[in-house]
Amino acid sequence: MSHHAVRRLILVGLMLALSALITVINPVFLSSGNLLKLLQEAAQTGIVAVGFTFVMITAGIDMSIGGVVAVTSMVCINFLHYTKVPIPVLVFLSLFVGALTGLVNGFFITKYKLPEFIVTLATRSILAGLALVIAVKDSLGFVQNVYIQNDSYLWFGTSGLFGIYRTTVAFLILGVGAQIFLKHTRTGTNIYATGANPTAARLTGIDTDRTTIGVYMFSGICASLAAVFISSRMMTAMPELGLGSEMDVIASVVIGGTAFSGGVGDVWGTMLGSLFLALIKNGILKTGISPWIQPIAIGGIIVVTVIVDVWQKKLREHLEARAKLKRLSAERGRDAA
Amino acid sequence: MKKTAIVAALLCVLLVVPAVAQTYKVAYIPQSIGQPNTNAWLEGMMRVFRKYPNVKVQSFDAQLKAELQVSYMDDVINQKYDAIVLQAMDAAALSASVKAAEAKGIPVITVNLATIQKHTASVQMADISAGYAVGKEMGKQLGGKGNVVIIQSPPGAILGVNREKGFRQAMAELYPNIKIVGAQSAEGWKKEIAITIMNGFLQANKELAGVFAVNDNMAEGAMIAAEAAGRLDQIKIWGANGQKSTLALIEQGKIAGTAYNNSFAQGSLIAEMVMENLQKKLGPSKAAETKVIQIPPFAATKETVGQIAAEDRW
Repeated sequence: MSHHAVRRLILVGLMLALSALITVINPVFLSSGNLLKLLQEAAQTGIVAVGFTFVMITAGIDMSIGGVVAVTSMVCINFLHYTKVPIPVLVFLSLFVGALTGLVNGFFITKYKLPEFIVTLATRSILAGLALVIAVKDSLGFVQNVYIQNDSYLWFGTSGLFGIYRTTVAFLILGVGAQIFLKHTRTGTNIYATGANPTAARLTGIDTDRTTIGVYMFSGICASLAAVFISSRMMTAMPELGLGSEMDVIASVVIGGTAFSGGVGDVWGTMLGSLFLALIKNGILKTGISPWIQPIAIGGIIVVTVIVDVWQKKLREHLEARAKLKRLSAERGRDAA
Repeated sequence: MKKTAIVAALLCVLLVVPAVAQTYKVAYIPQSIGQPNTNAWLEGMMRVFRKYPNVKVQSFDAQLKAELQVSYMDDVINQKYDAIVLQAMDAAALSASVKAAEAKGIPVITVNLATIQKHTASVQMADISAGYAVGKEMGKQLGGKGNVVIIQSPPGAILGVNREKGFRQAMAELYPNIKIVGAQSAEGWKKEIAITIMNGFLQANKELAGVFAVNDNMAEGAMIAAEAAGRLDQIKIWGANGQKSTLALIEQGKIAGTAYNNSFAQGSLIAEMVMENLQKKLGPSKAAETKVIQIPPFAATKETVGQIAAEDRW
């Protein structure tokens, strides 16, 4: 069994154990209402995290996701407030905002070889300011948070069959599609190769620049999609919506097994990571522990996960080296004989 | 026979009393925990709730994020809390959650900002009036002329927006010779950000006569900057809320005034409304509109701050 499979099993086991413990303390945890909300919370972070996973597999990082959510939600609010543009067109325009941001990020990272962290952090700052600039204002110039009453738009934030939220359904469809793309297409292979060893990837003919731009565009699109669902659920949006959510997204991806070093990870892990994070947050509320513990718990989990990853990698390398040495000794022994 | 009667009576008490003394869970969801204002509301509420050992209050820190408040509202609804006290980040964003709570039989009382969705009650500091009172008093102190600036709330924070509206209205109506020469918002209502903003105002305006910071934290930041620049005696600095540290600075003459609100009393009033609702099992209000109780502000200056008793300073 691969170490990814083992890790995934441990994560699932941990989730089941935690769920059992939380249910003992507060049986409301297992109520259908709570579980459906938990899944919705996981999906909101998870949609962004799916896109972020692609970036991290290429050994990149995208700190602009919060800014994309903020500016996309403001774009939606403006269109809903001032126009009667059909909702499918509005959603397309929203995704275009994310794609454009990703294109800009990818361009500066590949063309000028700038560090991903700096470029995307700068983009985040620009987008945060842009969100304030384009926010709907009242006659005195004060930011006015618009109350969304368009039923077609609100559809995204509501529940459907069996009470399952549409955000959750979108997350599942996106996750499955993204995983299939990663594992069963040439572009998916290129993404892994770019992250594992960009020089070698280029030498084998992979256009690593195009791959990099592509993953940042996908990350932007996912963030924009999340903005639609979040603003629909809240029936409004604020210029600061999504800013500060980067930690949760990174935590989901790291817990799921995608490494900052690139070349490893997948969407299944991210989906489990998003679910695990939502479970921790929900569980903390159910057990009556102070919500201030949440960021401490999330930070602690990230640190532990990274330590376990590093330890596992060292152990694997050590065992592989020992096995190789044993093989060489056996071959030498046979030759001598 | 007598012994049997006594034992029977004791048994009845032991069986009946627990059934009668139902435990109530009250959720307190302010914009953030740890601010003087939100702490004062909680203390005011606890002054009432402490009389009822069967009432348990759980606070939730939304860290100034509406989406977190929405999550917490979902959670307390699922956990079937008996009442919710909510200081909404945004009137629209929390409307769906308030509607869901009241639909599940959980009365919601909002603090300072009523959601668009109607609910049981809202206990508010009259923000526009507070800003107007500040403008009126500051104008008097400035003799009706001079340049003033505003340190604003984070964009979209209705509380701060309303105070500023009231202030601007007072200036426009009462003091046409007072010019508002600058306005900038301080992220997170933070004192350290206000210091930076005030430094900018001081450098840009050699003749600055007044500053209205829409909350006391920011007013104290403005005061620190003005004092460091050696210009505190030339500038009338006003805040709003009336927290204890600001009242002390007013007594020292370092801050010109604040729009004081007795947040302890506001919290106690909310708690009394919650208890009345729970004890009488009223549930969410069936009235067509939200019952709004507005607490008028008190302009506390060096001359009037002594009227605020020690037990009312939070």
